[in-house]
Amino acid sequence: MLHIKRTFILGLLFLIALVSNAQQTEVQAAYTFLQQGDLDKSKAAIDAAVLHIETAEDAQAWYVRGFVYKEIYKQKEKTNKQSPMRLEALNSFKKSLSLDKSDENVQENIKNIKYLATTLFNDAKDCLDDVDYKIAIVDFDKFIEYYALVDSSPVNIQQRKIEFNLAIASVYTKIFESDKQTKLDFLSLAKSTYSKVLDVEPNNISANYNMGILYYNQAVNLINQSDYDLDIVALSDIQDNSIKLFKESLPFMEKAYSLDPKRRETLLGLSGIYFSLNEFEKSNSFKLKLEEIEKQK
Amino acid sequence: MKKLLLILFLPLLFVGVCAMVAPADQGEEANAKIKAIYIYNFTKYIEWPDDYKQGNFVVGVIGNSAALLGELNKMASTKTVGAQKFEIKSISSIGDVAQCHIVYILNESSAQLPDVIGKTKGKSALIVTDKDGLATKGSAINFVIVENKQKIELNKSNIEKYKLKVAAQLVEMAVAVK
Repeated sequence: MLHIKRTFILGLLFLIALVSNAQQTEVQAAYTFLQQGDLDKSKAAIDAAVLHIETAEDAQAWYVRGFVYKEIYKQKEKTNKQSPMRLEALNSFKKSLSLDKSDENVQENIKNIKYLATTLFNDAKDCLDDVDYKIAIVDFDKFIEYYALVDSSPVNIQQRKIEFNLAIASVYTKIFESDKQTKLDFLSLAKSTYSKVLDVEPNNISANYNMGILYYNQAVNLINQSDYDLDIVALSDIQDNSIKLFKESLPFMEKAYSLDPKRRETLLGLSGIYFSLNEFEKSNSFKLKLEEIEKQK
Repeated sequence: MKKLLLILFLPLLFVGVCAMVAPADQGEEANAKIKAIYIYNFTKYIEWPDDYKQGNFVVGVIGNSAALLGELNKMASTKTVGAQKFEIKSISSIGDVAQCHIVYILNESSAQLPDVIGKTKGKSALIVTDKDGLATKGSAINFVIVENKQKIELNKSNIEKYKLKVAAQLVEMAVAVK
């Protein structure tokens, strides 16, 4: 409550600005209820105010609404990763921001949007697992939508997207690997997500390496899943398909190697790919490079 | 206000979550699996004399490859040759090859081919090798790489001289001996 009281310094500024008519009184009432800790009444009052023609386009009313919903989120939905109250709060601050470009209004709204967007980001991060990944995507998209309002630097936004895509791709990979027969769609999702990263950042080592590993493992799985009594003709087809996949893996792994030639995993990956392509000299050359690097440690 | 500022600071992104996928060092195993499938196929397309159809079906391996021995043992645990159980042997003494149905000489042990031929004279052993040119030097079946692909060369006369019968389909599937 102390927190709320502090913000009322701002509230006073709004109250001064209020014109004494019925709808402005609703805004004032929302403040009072909020101060008293009665969030339900505060919400009812401010909802009525923003629906009324006189205050529907009032920046202060929307700011108050944002604040009320933010408090409800904090007190009642903090553990709800899909909190509707949080989105209402964000939407209200956004609306207020669009209605009044004065410095003071902008700063207050931005501060609140940043806070709530950060909670979305944190929840997205917490949901990055094989159960809640869809919530992570929704929360992250919302985070980006609102984060863009407060940090318009395309570089920052792009960086967040890259990091999130790398993370969600690794979740897709994990889901695929939990059941390679029935979760094949997740392999495609992982690949397309890494592709998205590489479209905007072709030199991303993680995306290149992981993409290479996806193709590599897919090729290896194709062989390892075969039964021993597979006919030689069928084995030939399996080999054709796996060679195709090993070759698809190669440019990504080569790229990752060119970006960091001393990385252990990449050297192992290249050695494995060339071994699988029956190019043993090349495979050994990467094995030797790895041994040299490990000797130097 | 201090507390609020701390909260506003975006945390360290998704570093923990997007850790690299561990490289699957499975190339050797995959390669070995292909060889094991081939070897199992040889038992379907080649017929041993009646006196070799009793007891275990012995596959002897000359050379060191944990991956290959692992795959052959996996094969042995699930497959048979008719009523015969597989027995996979890592050959340390060349004299042991005389008891084998199949003798597989790995690439790095290719120099032992003449000794193997000597020890299997008069027997019915299928000699399998893994080095270019050995199909013309006494090997019955030689693994070769053609455009990244594992294939086999087959020397029919080297099979038949050991009183083994080879099916025409296997001959057709093999690449011509250079």
